[in-house]
Amino acid sequence: MSPEPAAASPSRTAVGRETVRVDGPLKVSGGARYTADFHFPDMLYAVPVCATIASGTIAAIDAKAAGAMPGVRKIYTRDTIGKFYRVPASGGGIIDERRPPFEDDTIRYYGQYVALVVADTFEQATAAAHRVKTSYRAAAFDVSTALSPEETPKVKSRRGDPNAAFDAAAVKIDHVYNTPIETHSSIELHASVATFDGSHFTLYETTQAVGNFRDVLAQMLGVPKENVRVVTEYLGTGFGGKLWPWPQSLLAAAAARDLRQPVKLVMTRQMTFESAGHRPHTRQRVRLGATAEGKLVSLRHDYAYSRAPLSSYAENCGESSGFMYSTPNLSVSEAFATRNVGVPTSMRGPGAVPGLYALESAIDELAVALKMDPVALRLRNEPAIDESKNIPFSSRHLNECLATGAETFGWSRRTPAVGSMRENGAVLGWGMAACTWMAARWEAQVSVMFNDDGTLRVASGTQDIGTGTYTVLAQMAAELAGVDVGKIKVVIGDSSLPPGPISGGSMATASLVPAVAQATREAIRNLIAAARESDSHFANLPVDRLAFHEGRVHRTDQPPGEGRRFEEVLASARLGHVEGRGKSEGTFRNKNPTVSTHSFGAHFVEVAWQPEIARLRINRTVSVIDGGRIVNPLTARNQIEGAVTMGIGMALFEETHYDHRHGMPINSNLADYIMATHADTPPMEVIFLDYPDTHLNEMGVRGIGEIGLAGVAAAITNAVYHATGVRVRDLPVKIEDLLASSVA
Amino acid sequence: MTSNEFTRRDMLTVAAAGTGALAGGSFPMTPAAAAPAKEGPESMPTLMDLSLSVNGKEHRLSLDPRTTLLDALREHLHLTGTKKGCDHGQCGACTVHVDGRRVNSCLKLAVMAEGAEVTTIEGLGDPDRLHPMQQAFVEHDGYQCGYCTSGQIMSAVAMMKEPWGSDDADIREAMSGNICRCGAYQNILAAIRQVRHG
Repeated sequence: MSPEPAAASPSRTAVGRETVRVDGPLKVSGGARYTADFHFPDMLYAVPVCATIASGTIAAIDAKAAGAMPGVRKIYTRDTIGKFYRVPASGGGIIDERRPPFEDDTIRYYGQYVALVVADTFEQATAAAHRVKTSYRAAAFDVSTALSPEETPKVKSRRGDPNAAFDAAAVKIDHVYNTPIETHSSIELHASVATFDGSHFTLYETTQAVGNFRDVLAQMLGVPKENVRVVTEYLGTGFGGKLWPWPQSLLAAAAARDLRQPVKLVMTRQMTFESAGHRPHTRQRVRLGATAEGKLVSLRHDYAYSRAPLSSYAENCGESSGFMYSTPNLSVSEAFATRNVGVPTSMRGPGAVPGLYALESAIDELAVALKMDPVALRLRNEPAIDESKNIPFSSRHLNECLATGAETFGWSRRTPAVGSMRENGAVLGWGMAACTWMAARWEAQVSVMFNDDGTLRVASGTQDIGTGTYTVLAQMAAELAGVDVGKIKVVIGDSSLPPGPISGGSMATASLVPAVAQATREAIRNLIAAARESDSHFANLPVDRLAFHEGRVHRTDQPPGEGRRFEEVLASARLGHVEGRGKSEGTFRNKNPTVSTHSFGAHFVEVAWQPEIARLRINRTVSVIDGGRIVNPLTARNQIEGAVTMGIGMALFEETHYDHRHGMPINSNLADYIMATHADTPPMEVIFLDYPDTHLNEMGVRGIGEIGLAGVAAAITNAVYHATGVRVRDLPVKIEDLLASSVA
Repeated sequence: MTSNEFTRRDMLTVAAAGTGALAGGSFPMTPAAAAPAKEGPESMPTLMDLSLSVNGKEHRLSLDPRTTLLDALREHLHLTGTKKGCDHGQCGACTVHVDGRRVNSCLKLAVMAEGAEVTTIEGLGDPDRLHPMQQAFVEHDGYQCGYCTSGQIMSAVAMMKEPWGSDDADIREAMSGNICRCGAYQNILAAIRQVRHG
């Protein structure tokens, strides 16, 4: 083994410091380029034609009149789009809607693409798309919301004898909770700008995973991966809705291939509700059995979710049920029911978010039944280890989250009786819930380069979906290399870069740490080697007598200030740059983990209920998050506040409705699919415990993109119960539900 | 085509007939914009010449009269800082100033903006010379993905001149036409408060 340069302890200042985003000035001045912002000479505009039935077959497509309209270049149908291929079940990449567009004449959901109009302008393409006449042979369909398992439920987790323990329990809870279909509704519409040069595609895409996107599109277009490049410089976020490709990308690429001109296709907001994924409907029965002292003796969580024809997507609602609380007897089972809706996909905190709404509601109901404080009940059932796998937790501080949250919120002043707290003429409700989300690493590769212009380049084929990846990568490299954040150039969002992690699962940051660390250290070694070769100041010194600090190569017997700046070292060596490469191994879905890695947290919520005008408001929230070491508290707090905001929407507003006559998502716009607006959000307090979890990486970073949403809806409905006495088990809370309240 | 579809072409017809309600009742109709469009094949309107004043610069354009102000800015003038989030006036991502007032540029046809002064995010400031509101958004992390940000900032700058009260609740209400799905509202509030109260 070659001796290591004495550069192992660079100045540790950048990680953990509040750092404004390095891409901030671009974002506030309109200079950050999102997919639909790309423009090329001779670019054409594509607009899909969408099915107006939810099930059946296409009888005929009459595009004659549309094709004669001004500016129309071509109208594609199954007969003319060209050949598409499927992606193999393993090794080809991930896509939720496996059927390529136009593959057959069968319609399986409302809004499925049946044709594509390409014209010189967006206005011409839109007008012509309206003139394409499609006739159908409609078939029966089902978009009902009453879910019953289609097959024998699959056991996901089991220990002890949950049925006998439940039957014998002193106190029992047995309720069914429903969460509706929710749509991601990122403000950026899904978009594709496809270019083709005769052999190679460059696809500007809205994706949370440029590498996977490249793999899938190469498969489906039938070309080698090397012939496809996918670029996402900035993403108007995704929340899972842009994790995997959707059919519009393939249509844009095929049109560009056929017409040999760049093609831009921006989905309409309505289309994003129909054919770009959603969180499926869930129906969850939770049975809890406890002793009179509040010790859980049995937990059963049986859930079903809606899914689509040709979809194998599973909403893993019981993901955290097996380890959240201590109980000797437990079972978790999964089932599905097929509905004629677009293909579902992951939405922020898939599985755990609807799952914890049900579980944390049931725990609150148990606390009421026991006449016990809900914080105390959770503390009493804190497990010593992950009982679902019989392995220790890497770092679990849920008790401290609960205690800190209760203290900060003022929970000790809570009076438990329904409707017993009042302020300014309103009834107050105080509710809380715990939360958790997995922590793991994806495989990741990173390149780090010292450049002769005095900058440090960090490159990886990952993305910044708004979480702050540009900035945390700069912070990590700054910390490891001892270079100012302002001197770091982060290059991401391009499939031609070293393969980076997907922006999903709250894992990108944790995945990047080992790769950035390895790459930076290798770059430093290469820089020191260059210094020894080319600079008489360092010549003939053994490598362990040289170090790199504060951007300078220096002798270990001298302070860094006596050394040479790295750009000077490169100049005298006549090098443009030296590079280091690093790689992180993935841990996600590790079959035999030795420790259980999860983040934890607790949310506390105050609602105000004004019975005389049936008005419900959220007054304030407190969230305490145990998410490992926080790289950037400024952007991290924003993540949690944003997630709590989404949780307010989940609890009070969000639901995609399907018209039972036509199978159409009828509130497929941003006025009728209601999300929390600025005026719906209250002051929020966020506290990070900031315990490093070094099991995943040397910086102790886990991930915080999703955990902030988990548990929020239950904390709100628990508060609503405390204010009104109405237990809402079907989200979202509707004012008409609360009219049943006897609190006046 | 189903009967409930309302196309921009229909909208143009309505607008040309003088129904001002669609645009708030006070858009300038120059003779060029009010003249009936030349008819092309299939009775489709062909191009119309117009002049748009954007960020203090005059642009001569020949546009399909169905083109919204938003698409004229983005697809023809390549001022892509203004974003399309819904194309229905529901999200606020396309907010620009028309004669100093905030407007959803997706709800205004480009021809309706002739004679007016349009300001977009690019006209407010650039990375080297940020407007105080842009600077405040950077300092307070008033965004995540950045997609709604141009609209948020244009709205925030315009609301400073509107008759709102001084409470945080007034800011929250005034800014509720701009949806931030990332939910950066606390930081947007902090940024606006800084500029408003110094």
